[in-house]
Amino acid sequence: MTTSKPARKHDTEDRRREGISSNREGFNQRSRKAIGDRQLHDAVALASKNLIGGRNKVLGSLPDAPELRERAYRIKQETMANLDRYLEQMADAVEARGGNVFFASDGEDAIRYVADLARRKGAKIIAKSKSMATEEIELNRRLEEDYPDLGLEIVETDLGEWIAQLAGETPSHIVGPILHMNRQRVADILSGVAGEKLPPDVEELTKFARKRLREKFLAAEIGMTGANFGVAETGTICTVTNEGNARLVTSVPPVHVVVMGIEKLIPKFDDLSTFVQLLARSGTGQKVTVYTNFITGPRAEGEMDGAEEMHLILLDNGRSKLLGTEFEEALYCIRCGACLNVCPVYRQAGGHTYGSTYSGPIGAVITPLLKGDKEAKDLPHASSLCGACSEACPVGIPLHDLLLKLRNRQVNEGLAGKGQSVAFKGFENTMRSPALYKISGKAGRVAQKVVEKDGAIRPLPGPLSGWTNTRDLPPLAPKSFRELWKKGLKDG
Amino acid sequence: MADRAEFMDKVRHRTRTGKYRPTHAPDVAWTREGAPPDKEPIEDPSARFLEELEAVGGHGRRVKDLEEARSYVLDLAREREAKLLLRWGVGELTRLGVDGPLRKDGVEVAVWNDDLADSKDVASRADIGLSTAAWAIAETGSLVLEGGPGRGRIVTLLPPSYVAVVPVDRVLSTVPEMIRKYAEAGNVPANICFHTGPSRSGDIEMTLAIGVHGPGDVHVLLVG
Repeated sequence: MTTSKPARKHDTEDRRREGISSNREGFNQRSRKAIGDRQLHDAVALASKNLIGGRNKVLGSLPDAPELRERAYRIKQETMANLDRYLEQMADAVEARGGNVFFASDGEDAIRYVADLARRKGAKIIAKSKSMATEEIELNRRLEEDYPDLGLEIVETDLGEWIAQLAGETPSHIVGPILHMNRQRVADILSGVAGEKLPPDVEELTKFARKRLREKFLAAEIGMTGANFGVAETGTICTVTNEGNARLVTSVPPVHVVVMGIEKLIPKFDDLSTFVQLLARSGTGQKVTVYTNFITGPRAEGEMDGAEEMHLILLDNGRSKLLGTEFEEALYCIRCGACLNVCPVYRQAGGHTYGSTYSGPIGAVITPLLKGDKEAKDLPHASSLCGACSEACPVGIPLHDLLLKLRNRQVNEGLAGKGQSVAFKGFENTMRSPALYKISGKAGRVAQKVVEKDGAIRPLPGPLSGWTNTRDLPPLAPKSFRELWKKGLKDG
Repeated sequence: MADRAEFMDKVRHRTRTGKYRPTHAPDVAWTREGAPPDKEPIEDPSARFLEELEAVGGHGRRVKDLEEARSYVLDLAREREAKLLLRWGVGELTRLGVDGPLRKDGVEVAVWNDDLADSKDVASRADIGLSTAAWAIAETGSLVLEGGPGRGRIVTLLPPSYVAVVPVDRVLSTVPEMIRKYAEAGNVPANICFHTGPSRSGDIEMTLAIGVHGPGDVHVLLVG
């Protein structure tokens, strides 16, 4: 394979962006804006309620759901412990079926491979079905910006992803990319493409999208998908969709490129049974999605459709450094989005607030892990640690434990705010001395008179503001438990 | 750029030297309040299949023979005012015998085989796609489609209406049963698709939209 240099060298900021798009504002600033957005709030609330309702019903009707979850966890545990072996097996199996395999250490590797392939094929249009891994490496933007000579048109074909792409936005939910938009907004965006006014009618808008995207499917020289699961034993790529776009993208264009994070592997074909059931039921509350598609290599002899060439890009991009660490379980994620839907913070703040491809609790965990603590300092704190995410997770990732471990790592790396470190040190000293503890309660009640408002303390002045800027602190009760207890003893 | 060996070395090193091994079961266990729902045995797979297919917005019908299936397809072509029907080039569908009567009704019939010129164009013009299925799954109302000679993937995908004619003895009970069958057979086909009802999206305001990229009108006839 010939390798070519990107047309524009990444500047420092771009290198920093490698992996997951970042935003200069942190979670805290963005969440303040998002919480004030009533429409966003209602849309996210409705969507999460529907998704969770569906999930509970359909998972609840599965008699062996707890056992499936346990099995999924064990399978992922086994896979990660032997990931090198399974990767070898996967690569061999795909090659044995006539596919090509490429190992990409990071996004830049993957994008260069796609660019070279597009050049060799003289491709002009790439039709993509929804893939979080390509969102993560910002494949669309970087292919267009770094390889302008290719003149590539990259089209997202998932309805929501396409609309987000037209609006110049990123998806705000793993499963529902535009659940932050209302239909009027969608009508405005699509009217811009149609060159005429389209009504805010879901059926009409869908019809227009079908027609417009159909042209792209038929013209595309390359189809791209992600992978929900990759089966090491057989080299099979499983995609799970409802619209049929992943099936189209793998059936019509002559070349099929898969970008798959290395953690998507499962050992055996039979393991699909566990994961296909859990993903559909947990993600959208369906028993199975409309199209659960299994691709093993390019088209077979005698077939007249299906891609003639298949390329599997195995993407590391920071994943392998989690292997064998206390954060390994973050790699078990099957991207169902259930943890988002149950998270009180996500439900208030919405997906874009996380400033990351992956939002919600899993986003708060994997963004700092893949990208570094400095880049996503606020995210491990974007959680009330209520544990709803860990409970909802269909593969049993202890999400809130991982968030705590990340907070701990920040403190160890000296990344936690100074105020917080000083405060916890002070707390430690106070708790060790009964006399100090007694005085501190009284002093607190006197001091809070200055800052209490509407039954909550906000904001605290000076170094203490680090806590109350993003939290409402309940005021101390007029009498402490200690005081009431003493009084009770006397009265009794 | 990492070559395979270098990439693998890195992964191998990390899996071998990593100190932490998650050993506990899922952190917050899923425990049921009360007894689990009964694992209801699927006593009549074909009836269950039709029920599940209807539940996801498809149309299912049990027909007694090919003749009844043929008249269903002819009626559908009339109702949909079809101009072009595209079908799989397999013996079972030749025996279904819809080609002649359809042509007599003025409907063009195209067959997915080597003689079909410009197959993509025909598939995107067709009003109805017609296929059989390798299997069907009762629990979910899914068709199991395998790609292969005469069995075009886009026949079931591009036309707005889609009909599958499936012998009733191909209906299996559950998804795990189906997956196990392929797992045990070993050599999986280049493409398998579990196709369950009409193509759908809930992307705009969580409102159900039908027929997004695939067919919005799906019919399955179980024969026998």
